[in-house]
Amino acid sequence: MDVVKQLQRQFIDFSTSLYREGFVDDQFAQLQKLQDESNPDFVVEVVSLFFDDSEKLVKNLAVALEQQVVDYKQVDANVHQLKGSSSSIGAKRVKDVCVAFRSFCEAENHEGCLRCLHQVSHENSLLKNKLQTLFRLEQQILAAGGTVPVLE
Amino acid sequence: MACTSGGKSDVAPVPEQFPVGLRVLVVDDDVICLRVLEQMLRKCMYKVTSCSQATVALNLLRERKGCFDIVLSDVHMPDMDGFKLLELVGLEMDLPVIMMSADGRTNLVMRGIRHGACDYLIKPIRDEELKNIWQHVVRKKWNEIKEHDHSGSMEDHDRQKRVIDDAEYASCVNEGADEVLKMQKKRRDSKDEDDTELENDDPAATKKPRVVWSVELHQQFVSAVNQLGIDKAVPKRILELMNVPGLTRENVASHLQKFRLYLKRLSGVAQQQGCLPSTYCGPVEQNLKLASLGRFDIQALAASGQLPPQTLAALHAELLSRPPGKLVLPALDQRTLLHASLQGSKCIPADQDVAYGQPLIKCSSNIAKQTSQPVMSNEDVLSEFAAWSAKSLGDMVPACNFGSVVERNSNMLISFIQQQQQQQQKQPVIPEPSRSINVQPSCLVVPSQSSPNFQAGNSPVSVNQNCSFRNLALDYNNPSLQSNNSSGAGQNMEVECKPVRMHSEFGTAGSVLSASSCSKDIQDSACQRVPSSLSTISVVMQVPNINDMQSSHSGKPDLVQVSTRNPVYVGKGPSIPSRFAVDEHELPMSSISQMKLYAENNGNKVKQEPNDLTENVRVGIPVRQTFPQMI
Repeated sequence: MDVVKQLQRQFIDFSTSLYREGFVDDQFAQLQKLQDESNPDFVVEVVSLFFDDSEKLVKNLAVALEQQVVDYKQVDANVHQLKGSSSSIGAKRVKDVCVAFRSFCEAENHEGCLRCLHQVSHENSLLKNKLQTLFRLEQQILAAGGTVPVLE
Repeated sequence: MACTSGGKSDVAPVPEQFPVGLRVLVVDDDVICLRVLEQMLRKCMYKVTSCSQATVALNLLRERKGCFDIVLSDVHMPDMDGFKLLELVGLEMDLPVIMMSADGRTNLVMRGIRHGACDYLIKPIRDEELKNIWQHVVRKKWNEIKEHDHSGSMEDHDRQKRVIDDAEYASCVNEGADEVLKMQKKRRDSKDEDDTELENDDPAATKKPRVVWSVELHQQFVSAVNQLGIDKAVPKRILELMNVPGLTRENVASHLQKFRLYLKRLSGVAQQQGCLPSTYCGPVEQNLKLASLGRFDIQALAASGQLPPQTLAALHAELLSRPPGKLVLPALDQRTLLHASLQGSKCIPADQDVAYGQPLIKCSSNIAKQTSQPVMSNEDVLSEFAAWSAKSLGDMVPACNFGSVVERNSNMLISFIQQQQQQQQKQPVIPEPSRSINVQPSCLVVPSQSSPNFQAGNSPVSVNQNCSFRNLALDYNNPSLQSNNSSGAGQNMEVECKPVRMHSEFGTAGSVLSASSCSKDIQDSACQRVPSSLSTISVVMQVPNINDMQSSHSGKPDLVQVSTRNPVYVGKGPSIPSRFAVDEHELPMSSISQMKLYAENNGNKVKQEPNDLTENVRVGIPVRQTFPQMI
């Protein structure tokens, strides 16, 4: 029990920090609420989908921005996609970078785009790590026989 | 709920706890969003079906009519523009569609509304927003009931009323009580009121009663519109002209609205790109009961250069039924046409899903008539057709004297087109709300079965080659081609082009004609899938840009490129009634050759899966400029 309580406390603190630091927003909380018995791994599933997709998009963006003549429309389309999916899971920071990224695309500012690309990639990795930690904590709690607390 | 949505017997009974069980179709290319939405909707106790491809979604909707109550679609999708999907769904299935996007800019939202969206949600979407989507279903039903009231369809009315009542009842116990009460009040109030606002600009608001706009009905509509002139066509007058018992002004108004939008899009798109809106390529499906689109159709067709066989058939059918002289060739945006033709298939904007087979057919028939003598076994049909087109052309091209279809027609056609171009008329393209027509999603009307009939295979019209109308002609006359026709399943191509005096191009025209004629029969069978076929039908003068077309076709069902495939029939090969066989028309050489070219091109592509609608749409055979050649 102590172990569980400890883990749960850790989980709560960690979760709260994620929100506080802007890694995730309310949409993520919604995702967690959507999880239920019929879809017990919903959050993990969606998050994994997101990272697969975002990594692919980042690669595409890198390629697109490396071209001699950059097709900003293409870049914008990819960023738009990333923005959509990141906002769907509540990846706030990633989404925010996407917003800035789009402005640079519109302005066809290559330098700005590159910077955003790096930022997006960076935020993506950061988030991935954070969420992995979170999921691990969840697993530990469940393994120890406890229930994962729901943040309000 | 939704039992009455499609009025189909396979619809489930109204659930007791509305909106529980609301059948939602979600379309979004972003898998993550899709998954999240799916889960959210499930939590709302809705029955969710998700699709990541618009084309698949459309097919689903078509195949399972009456099985969905509402559609949620993303705006930006790779295979089809969300707005296009929106329009198609509105036209074909008349379901409420909600658009979604991460992009919430006003202009985009405005576009959504203009295309008929019931609502526009900005991502990320919260579950509370999804909980209320049922209101759109109810509202639509309610409006329909209201219209039914006006049109006097008591049975429907009662049925619908029951649904609304159920919904209201259920809502009352939920939070929506206020809304329900308001609804009830409104319903009562407006029940006896004459709905005077017919010309409602918001398609989503004007819900037509479930009037099936059959080909004949649409033809009547189009001819009425043509008679009045698109600018002066008001529902009341159209209704009078149509003189169809049981049809209400509201019905006509909403139909007109759609028609106008359709035309506008056609011209608008064409303007922008100098091509024909892909709308032409629109799925010309089974049912091609495209009502007479009227001149707009023709224009559209011409513009798109894609006349799917079905369209042609429909067009043809229409022509046949329409008294000659009434048809006025649509004042297509000549420029558009020209551009379209010049530009080749690329022109057709992908996002213009042409769902209106009619226009296409019309055009093709027109063109066909003009260009060549339809090879129709049924002389009468042909002559009527020809007469019609001649007349139409005559209207447009005063100088022309329509006597024999052939040469004159082609010439006229050309001149007509030229005139059109000059006139720069922008006919609003009104999407043909062919409910009856099973138009498939834009363009890829590719006959599901590769139509072996397509002569395309046969005569390798070197479409790519550019310009060789001559070649086309040859091809056309190519016995192999002809045999294709005969082999016909679905090949309307009976374009037995007589040794075209003109150029082989007519051959295609001929096929186009046959396509149209056949389309009637074929429609049901083959046409179905021909979304891309639409393009095919646009045999319309496709000028040797066939190269473009061909390449562009590659992915798509040839519909768009009518010309390549045997313009006529893109559909499956239902046997074409002999009388529909297209005779050799003396299609204007150029157009015929074009058509042929297209046919050829298309033929190969017949089966293309419309994955890439956009591409297909683009392919829409632009109306080529065959004029020079023809004359």
